[in-house]
Amino acid sequence: MALVQTTGPSARAVSEVVRLDGHVLDSLVLVKVLDTIVDAGASYKILELDVGTTNRDESHVRIEVSCPDEAALGALLERVQVHGVNREGQEEAHLVPVDQDGVLPDDFYSTTNLPTWVRLSGHWVEVGQPEMDCAVVVDLDGTTARTLPMHRARRGDRVVVGMHGVRVAPPRRSAGPGEFAFMTSEVSSEKPKGLTVERVAATLRRARLHDVGGQSRGILAVCGPAVVHTGAAPALAALVREGWVQALFAGNGFATHDIEAAVLGTSLGVPLSGAEPSEHGHANHLRVINTVRRFGSIANAVDAGWLRRGVLYECVRAGVPFVLGGSVRDDGPLPDVISDTAAAADAMREHLGGIGVALMLASTLHAIATGNLLPATVETFCVDINQAVVTKLADRGSHQALGIVTDVGLFVGDLADLLCGPDWRAQVTRGP
Amino acid sequence: MCEPTFFTVTYEINPYMHIEIRPDPSAARQEWGHLVSTLQQTGATVDFLAPVKGVPDLVFTANAGLVQGRRFVPSRFRHPQRRAETPVDVAWFRDHGFLIEQLAGDEPFEGAGDALPFGRPTVIVAGYRYRSSISAHRALGTLLGLPVRSLELVDERYYHLDLAFCPLDDRRAMVAGQALDRYGCRVIEALVPEPIWLEDDEAADFSANSVVVGGVAVMPACTPRLGKVLEKAGYEVVVAPVGEFVKAGGGCRCLTLALDVP
Repeated sequence: MALVQTTGPSARAVSEVVRLDGHVLDSLVLVKVLDTIVDAGASYKILELDVGTTNRDESHVRIEVSCPDEAALGALLERVQVHGVNREGQEEAHLVPVDQDGVLPDDFYSTTNLPTWVRLSGHWVEVGQPEMDCAVVVDLDGTTARTLPMHRARRGDRVVVGMHGVRVAPPRRSAGPGEFAFMTSEVSSEKPKGLTVERVAATLRRARLHDVGGQSRGILAVCGPAVVHTGAAPALAALVREGWVQALFAGNGFATHDIEAAVLGTSLGVPLSGAEPSEHGHANHLRVINTVRRFGSIANAVDAGWLRRGVLYECVRAGVPFVLGGSVRDDGPLPDVISDTAAAADAMREHLGGIGVALMLASTLHAIATGNLLPATVETFCVDINQAVVTKLADRGSHQALGIVTDVGLFVGDLADLLCGPDWRAQVTRGP
Repeated sequence: MCEPTFFTVTYEINPYMHIEIRPDPSAARQEWGHLVSTLQQTGATVDFLAPVKGVPDLVFTANAGLVQGRRFVPSRFRHPQRRAETPVDVAWFRDHGFLIEQLAGDEPFEGAGDALPFGRPTVIVAGYRYRSSISAHRALGTLLGLPVRSLELVDERYYHLDLAFCPLDDRRAMVAGQALDRYGCRVIEALVPEPIWLEDDEAADFSANSVVVGGVAVMPACTPRLGKVLEKAGYEVVVAPVGEFVKAGGGCRCLTLALDVP
């Protein structure tokens, strides 16, 4: 078992780059400005210092000033303005209207998943629904801004172009109590697994227990078929039943095998009880898909009493929304699968509001797809037996993802033990 | 210099001005006349700017702008109450053969009130905060091709640099450290080999707002202590009281603008 990546949830410091030009060294103006910054409890980093070669030459300094919050930064920068310190990026965001549906203006600002602000009418306005690889659209009266996926652009939408008037909060590592401060090495196979599961369980408890501004944060499970193959489905079903999952994303494979296991006791024809593969078992999943297609939806199959256990059964019972995104190699697919991938991504976006923690369980494609949609502020755990999956997720921009290299079946089972108590195993044995 | 025919206090833009404490016109004319003759006795030639009705602070010609050789850089007054002075000043300098050079940008700058050349090679010592902006210092340095030392004025009683800094020669200057912070004092120490630091009462009496002509310092006030220091430094001290003008926040130097700046 190994741990990969280390970034905790971002605590937000705000910073701004300022300029100071002129004969600022001999006049001690630079020293005075830096002293003022430090005296105010802020910090600075000199990004550029161009000292003239003669005493007639001007010096040019670029300084990044960081403060704990926006108000303190504004007050400080106002105070040093009299000394000739000018904010960079005080320019307004440049807006250009969309001239063709689904096509962004050339030079559109491409977003990151970090908290972002745009400058509108002299104010920094936070961009809603942070998501990477989108544009930023500003509403008609110019007071709110949100991310806009390319395919949703509509003629007349006003979109931010260029880099002017855009500010991004740098991700900050957190070492607060209860965070993953101990995971300070990129990869560690040395960490005791029990401890890691307990930390994830603690994070989920905090998410549910109103720990951030008195608001509870939702938990998202993103599942690959290996969740079923490794026997983790009953544990995940228990977590759903006990209210530990608020939204679930998966594909046709996971859903099919979850239902196949629930109805026939096999996963891809292999009995989960450990018996020999049944004859013609490879067709089991196709028969299951066919039957659900006859019902019209998974919810209908539950209502009819045909589907009586499993992860999706619990989702339907508990009213937990799930989105099944399709792919080109899907059998069937199940009637709930959204085969239009852009529409599937849009459906996933609908359920991200309020999500504070994401569990990526043995999923590559859906984990990366979800990672593309999640703001960097969502605490993300990526559980996979293959470290490459974890690395892939981080490489694609989801730097906040904490990788846990382990068998998903054992991991989810341990998690359910901690969060649901040992009774869930008894319920599995008894059945519904 | 500009005769105080229309000098009065009709607005309040510094801590000294009070509309209810108007200067006495005849006393002001007397003080001003005495200052003119004192300066002429030191060997100075005085040129005059015609007063204009409704532009009372035109008497404070130090704030007209900055002179360098035959160039004149007009002020950009911070307060709208004084902006009517600029066209009058510019017309005078143009009529007298000066090249008018506008400072780049739009930041306020109040001429020789806030920018004084010092030393060899020349450095422009400039004040900022109350009247001039530090951004204007930068434009000034670029325009004149001279290094600028920007000093923040931290006490509003010394709202112009010429109330706190008075160059005597290439090595000496009177300095009111009361007007500066520790950074400004350090800049002065590095720049002025023999600074003459003023006591609190001397600074408050505008002793730094003096006109130096050759070896004579024409001062609005001078304590015995300061007089001795200046005499020891080789200066003759002549006091020309200008109490009526102090009511508007100005001393001897504010009433003059040197035209022989190299």
